[in-house]
Amino acid sequence: MNRKFLSSPIILILPSILAIGFVIIIPLIFSFYTSFTSYKLTRPDSLYNFVGLRNYERLIDNVKFWKAFGRTILFLAIVLNLELLFGLGIALLINKITWGQRTLRTIMMFPMMFSPILVGFQWKYIFNDNIGLLNNFLYLFGYESAIPWLIGKKLAMGSIMAAEIWANTAIFSILLLAGLLGIPRDPIEAARVDGCNSWQVFKNITLPFLMPFIFIALTIRSLDVGRAYDIVHIMTGGGPAMRTELIWTMIARVGYKDANMGFANAMSYVSIILSIAFTYYFFTKLVAARRELGQQ
Amino acid sequence: MKIIKNILLVISTFSFSFGALAVDTSFPNDKVTMWGDYSGITLDVKLIGGAPYDPLYQEMIPVWEEKTGGKVKILSKKSHFELDKEIKQDIAAGNISYCVVSNHTSFATQYGDIYRDLNGIIPGDYLAEFVPLVLDHSTVEGRLVQLPQHSDVSNLWYIKSIYEDADNKKKFKAEHGYDLAPPETLDQWKEQAIFWSDPPNFYGTQYVGKEEAITGRFYELVIAEGGALFDDGWHPTFNDEAGQRALQWFVDLYNAKAVPAGVLNYLWDETGLGFASGTVALNLDWGGWGAYFNSADSKIGGDVGLVRFPLGSGGKRGGWSGSHTYSILNGCPEENLDAAASLIWILTNHEAQMHEARGGKLPTMTRVWDDIANEMDAEGNAFMSNLFSTFKASMAEDAFTPPLIPEWIPFSNIIFPELQAAIVGDKTVKEALDAAAKETDLLMQDAGYY
Repeated sequence: MNRKFLSSPIILILPSILAIGFVIIIPLIFSFYTSFTSYKLTRPDSLYNFVGLRNYERLIDNVKFWKAFGRTILFLAIVLNLELLFGLGIALLINKITWGQRTLRTIMMFPMMFSPILVGFQWKYIFNDNIGLLNNFLYLFGYESAIPWLIGKKLAMGSIMAAEIWANTAIFSILLLAGLLGIPRDPIEAARVDGCNSWQVFKNITLPFLMPFIFIALTIRSLDVGRAYDIVHIMTGGGPAMRTELIWTMIARVGYKDANMGFANAMSYVSIILSIAFTYYFFTKLVAARRELGQQ
Repeated sequence: MKIIKNILLVISTFSFSFGALAVDTSFPNDKVTMWGDYSGITLDVKLIGGAPYDPLYQEMIPVWEEKTGGKVKILSKKSHFELDKEIKQDIAAGNISYCVVSNHTSFATQYGDIYRDLNGIIPGDYLAEFVPLVLDHSTVEGRLVQLPQHSDVSNLWYIKSIYEDADNKKKFKAEHGYDLAPPETLDQWKEQAIFWSDPPNFYGTQYVGKEEAITGRFYELVIAEGGALFDDGWHPTFNDEAGQRALQWFVDLYNAKAVPAGVLNYLWDETGLGFASGTVALNLDWGGWGAYFNSADSKIGGDVGLVRFPLGSGGKRGGWSGSHTYSILNGCPEENLDAAASLIWILTNHEAQMHEARGGKLPTMTRVWDDIANEMDAEGNAFMSNLFSTFKASMAEDAFTPPLIPEWIPFSNIIFPELQAAIVGDKTVKEALDAAAKETDLLMQDAGYY
């Protein structure tokens, strides 16, 4: 029995199991446990103060949390769609270029090379109502009012979206460009011979081929955007008046500033539902798209 | 574009201004010294960082290392809001074995018993040099957990020339029926701020608009209006009429466009630099900016006036006050304690406080208040003399700390988004304060106050 348990395959995968256990499983179990306690960072003894479902019960009635939850879904929906549109457009344009394509691909990836914190500071400065580049640029053209980019109800969220889209559209472009480069030329040439115009070729051949790549990109980015924190934290801190509060800025404040980690972890576990829902949806779509292409 | 040029010029000279003054490394006026041979000892420290704080470290830490043989290893240096988060994570992780950490009287109560009682570690004759009230504020549950470096309280800075201009005086009197002079009441402050405003080129006033900063500002206006945040049983009372008047003041200024549109994203650097850029008429701020505001590096250098915090309708002035301090952690090894105490000494001693006071920061040592005033008088520096006499009066007559309870920061995190909601018009003043009071009530219940 012992010999069978310690067979070579088991021994070989044991380090991976242990690594995953220590790095992922144990922290997950620990944080899940703390969501049933009144754990405060500044009171380590409170880790053992089991409160059952109280944190989750409070969360159900917490209007601010559900507003942040809804705002995060809206943020996800708008940012993902715009990134997809811009990313697809850029990929299609670059795919047409026959000279300097590599250089352009590298330039396109520049925004991804900046840390989100740096991106946040850069856009915070651009959108600053007083010394910001954008308002001062507008003054040059005779505009006489300071636009509160980071304050206005729609403007503030729009400004953060602009920063997020600027920083990450290249991910869509790169993935979709890889898809475009992999499309066989024969069906496209056959369609043109049959008299299809460019839109018909794009709609009936290019897009179906790209769909698996689109859904992979959407899955990756939905997980990223769902955890958006750095750029929001730097640009507005979730304010003013919680107008730009997303789930993770709220969780960070409750967990680290209020030191109320038990409650913050309960919020985290509820918010994971969002990531699971988006991932499940995009994966279902991915499987359907692959099936349509005759792939399994 | 004038504004952007002004502010960029101010930012470029900002760091230089704070670092321009040197210390006398012979420490001629320090009655108590705490030198020792600390060769082989490396002190791990975490400090508040930024342009107003770094010059003192740059002056004092190399001197301490040279004279004692010890070494200082700065593990992190960041704003106090970020340092606060880091300390909380350190407590959770049990990573509190470093020795010296920056602290603040408003924050210290949150951290439980991680700090050593400095009574017995710092000599009594050195402690006796400090203002007793400030040491009281540094004491948590009977333990002196921090030693104050400098205190802060705010007064009203203004651009003198616009108040001296004959046309302005005439126009103001015609509009408001009284002579133009720096405001003596909150109502006058509001009226004058609206009078001066010409957005987006020039604003009447400004305020820090988020986090604990706006909570503190609201707090002192509530006091000035004759109210209080809590009653004796710690039930929230800030949603009463005094509280509503206080919040209405912020709302009115915002609606009148008398403050910059982005003010709710402003903290201390934004307001300080904004005033120094010459684009704001009246600026409530601490003394630490004083020398810089009036220097050649500022666009309003030589044109800066200062008056006491205007009176509220309750007959009181604002006086939200606190002190930047240093603490020694329980986890600091016994063999490093003397070295840690010595490091705190060099960062808070007479020479250090004089160095800071020359820039306008408020001393915590009784003797330094007199010495800096004498020095400025001897130099004929009327601006700095006025600064210290004004702030001395504020510290003596107006200053009060926020409630020194662990719930201060969680309370602030509840109320500041509601204050902002009223200011931007998402809620009425009453709705916002009632919502904050309801949530605060739960916080205090959970904390066991009632």
